[in-house]
Amino acid sequence: MRFSLLAVLVSFATPAFGQGQVNVYNWSDYIDPVQLKDFGKQTGIKVNYTTYDSNEILDAKLKSGQSGYDIVVPTASPFFVRQIAAKLYQPLDKLRLRNYQNLDADTMALLGKYDADNRYGIPWMWGTIGIGYNATEIRKRMNNAPVDSLRMIFDPATVSRFTDCGVMILDSATDVLPAALKYLYLDPDSKKPEDLAKAAKVVDAVRPYIRKFHSSEYINALAGGDICLAFGYSGDILQAKDRAAAAPEKRVINYNVPNEGAMVWMDVAAIPKGAPNIDNAYRFLDFMLDPKVAAASSTLTNYANGNAAATPLLAKSMSGNKSIYPNADARSHFYTITAGNAAEVRERTRLWTAIKTGQ
Amino acid sequence: MSSKTSLRAVIAVPYAWLAVFFLLPFALVLAIALGTNDPDSVPPVALGFSLENFARLFTDKLYVAAWLSSLRIAAVSTLGCLLLGYPMAYAIARATPARRPLLLMLVVLPFWTSFLIRVYAWIGLLSENGMLNQFLRWSGLSDHPGTILGTEWAVHLGIIYAYLPFMVLPLYATLEKLDVSLLEAASDLGAKPIAAFLTVTLPLSLPGIVAGCLLVFIPAVGEFVIPDLLGGTRTLMIGKVLWDEFFTNSDWPLASAVAICLLVLLVGPIALFQRQQAKSLERAE
Amino acid sequence: MTAPIVKIEGIAKRYGTVQAVAGVDLEIERGELFALLGGSGCGKTTLLRMLAGLETPDSGRIVIDGQDMTGVPPHRRPVNMMFQSYALFPHMSVAANVGYGLRREGLPKPEIATRVAEALALVQLQTLGERRPSQLSGGQRQRVALARALVKRPKLLLLDEPLAALDRKLREGTRFEMVRLQEQLGLTFVVVTHDQEEAMSMASRLAVMNAGRIVQTGTPHDLYEHPATRFVADFIGVANIFEVAASRWMALRPEKIRLAAQRPDTAHAVSGKIVDIAYEGDRSLYRVLTESRGVMLVSTTNVTRTRESLFQRGQSVWLGWNDDWGQTLDE
Repeated sequence: MRFSLLAVLVSFATPAFGQGQVNVYNWSDYIDPVQLKDFGKQTGIKVNYTTYDSNEILDAKLKSGQSGYDIVVPTASPFFVRQIAAKLYQPLDKLRLRNYQNLDADTMALLGKYDADNRYGIPWMWGTIGIGYNATEIRKRMNNAPVDSLRMIFDPATVSRFTDCGVMILDSATDVLPAALKYLYLDPDSKKPEDLAKAAKVVDAVRPYIRKFHSSEYINALAGGDICLAFGYSGDILQAKDRAAAAPEKRVINYNVPNEGAMVWMDVAAIPKGAPNIDNAYRFLDFMLDPKVAAASSTLTNYANGNAAATPLLAKSMSGNKSIYPNADARSHFYTITAGNAAEVRERTRLWTAIKTGQ
Repeated sequence: MSSKTSLRAVIAVPYAWLAVFFLLPFALVLAIALGTNDPDSVPPVALGFSLENFARLFTDKLYVAAWLSSLRIAAVSTLGCLLLGYPMAYAIARATPARRPLLLMLVVLPFWTSFLIRVYAWIGLLSENGMLNQFLRWSGLSDHPGTILGTEWAVHLGIIYAYLPFMVLPLYATLEKLDVSLLEAASDLGAKPIAAFLTVTLPLSLPGIVAGCLLVFIPAVGEFVIPDLLGGTRTLMIGKVLWDEFFTNSDWPLASAVAICLLVLLVGPIALFQRQQAKSLERAE
Repeated sequence: MTAPIVKIEGIAKRYGTVQAVAGVDLEIERGELFALLGGSGCGKTTLLRMLAGLETPDSGRIVIDGQDMTGVPPHRRPVNMMFQSYALFPHMSVAANVGYGLRREGLPKPEIATRVAEALALVQLQTLGERRPSQLSGGQRQRVALARALVKRPKLLLLDEPLAALDRKLREGTRFEMVRLQEQLGLTFVVVTHDQEEAMSMASRLAVMNAGRIVQTGTPHDLYEHPATRFVADFIGVANIFEVAASRWMALRPEKIRLAAQRPDTAHAVSGKIVDIAYEGDRSLYRVLTESRGVMLVSTTNVTRTRESLFQRGQSVWLGWNDDWGQTLDE
């Protein structure tokens, strides 16, 4: 989900081919390195592990033709859906995955909206998009700030009070426009131009109070005290929280799932068509389904995983943390969106650029 | 005979390079630009002959605004580079010959570090709690300094910083060749130092000015990294449009059309420059 | 007697460890064509550049037309210079080059045009005003540089090796042309040259420089016939220099010596054998190996057309002279 230029420039490396290896293309810092090493030791398979920092890079690589990867981990919507439509994946033979039954039924159902019958992918990590804030700075400016509501971001009277300490919003039409629709109690997945125009108006009204639309800078900015409010990915904000806590200033960063309803994103492991090492790909998928591996990786990333058997292995501070594993009530307000056709995608991107730049 | 063949071989190398690494990719990009977007195929392009992508670039006011904004930002940054680079190049050209290599090395030195890291460093300098503001608060010059990061000023600053050597080096090359006796003659004929500069140094360094400006302006128009990292939300640039079309919309044909237009837009000034160079060569003979 | 136009008092200039000019005193009269003559590195160009204001003297004073100009920058001096390289502005036409100094004065355009045309006519370049310097021959460029330097009617026109870049044939014509211009305009010219023939034929007065100092100043005739030192005698023209007593030398010009088959009735005579002859048409130059004075140079003017009047190589001859035919030198 994150997007960084460094990754764009370094990640166009070609993986190696051959026997006894598996070419994994994954997000950076997304799998526990100790477990990964163990997999190599136990199976004798050489893991060519390369990373990316943006879905767009993965998308462009897959769409260029033979990518040479055995495992990739795109985000379910809009990327994985679009890639399924472009017939970029091969259906999974679930009988070859011993750990398949570990998967969480609710998560599988959620993913099923994009991937009917879970034909092509298995859920890896998931999280929400919500509100990250610096508790001290927010309280200083507004004692009873609605920190668990989208009003924090979309209500001009509220967000304007935090302009001086800095507000950032994800630079992503597919993440922010649905949230604005939700704020208006409209269908977050609506592609209707009149609905999108209303959402655009909401974002446009708060734009003067936003320092920047960016999809990764808010991590450092929150942790370093350059901003006090961000609308971003749960894991990123929790990462900022950890960093802030470790720094001498001891800034307190919190993450809240908005009570109007939160968008859920999910990253999915899948095998591209033409993968050169199918057998090893299955062994690696099975490894990812191992509760130990999923739990260790969740601890690393601050994201929830789609592995029911992994939950008991997590520290209470994670499994009991409702910003990571929200309760049933919060879950009932989760929403997802669909990709839309090419014309809709273009219109949305165009609208987003226009809003951001105030054109 | 054999020396003639080897000479031909030497000349063939750059042409072969140009064909393989420029013309061939250019033809591919042009073919894609004339096609239409087909998101469900691999690659997501249906070949054909459609000028719709080009038409869209010049009729949609958002794209037109992106063009204009890119040209404006590139022009302002180029001017900044010139105003800063000219005195630098002049000082180096007038330094003692023994000191010039050192000064030139200092100009080129930043290239030894990754471009991205250098641009990232500016974030650390310009952010709200960055070194610049810390200094302003510490020194008491300002209690509530504004934040430069995220404004167009930061983009200008970044481009000027990153491209300054491309301005200084060609300027130095022309200023260093400038015959000092011409300035003495101007002074002898009654020109005050400023008049001598305006009537002799400046016109004679024009080829360097043009070369430096093109070397800065051309990449600055398509610049993507610096506005993304240092710029704010309102900075609209054609490089970002290209990125959005290619990656976000997965619309390869429209992205290719943007790339073609960028190239065509920039070939004009280069051709102009070449003509001017040829003319000045002719004059020198 | 009017006051000199230039008065140089105790001027010195040092570059690092090199003493380029080591204490020069000099006066130049109004309307003179004055030449500074010397070998390379003798300080003549540095002295000229100090007159122009392009170099600042370490000590001493320069007075031009009664005004102390020592610290005045070049653009405020009533002096113009013609550079050895000509220093024509390559990006300007010939007319623009010539008019450059007038434009700096802010004169009205029509006046500039008139004066540029006059200056170009003076150097016979009236048809080439629109050309660029790169489109001209070497001789034409030289004349543009001259026109540019004199269009402002400076009190003092400085010329740094004005003929050095021209070929020999052109040089002689131009030499007379410059003298004509100088007389016609009544300007004061100071010419720097390393060519003694050029200095002798052009200058009304000249100064010979060596190692940063002026060795002798005078008219060409003074310097040729009455050199003050062995250096001047040797540098200007050709001289037979030999010791006549302890620390006393005689400088004897080749044309002053009488050459004869028999011993001539002069105060001094030596016999010898002709070892080399250079026949130059108007005159002949003989190298004679004498018994007591080594090789001596003698020249004769070929006033008759008969071959018999010429001496032959290997012929025994006598060389004769009187004391007052040469210059006695103390050093």
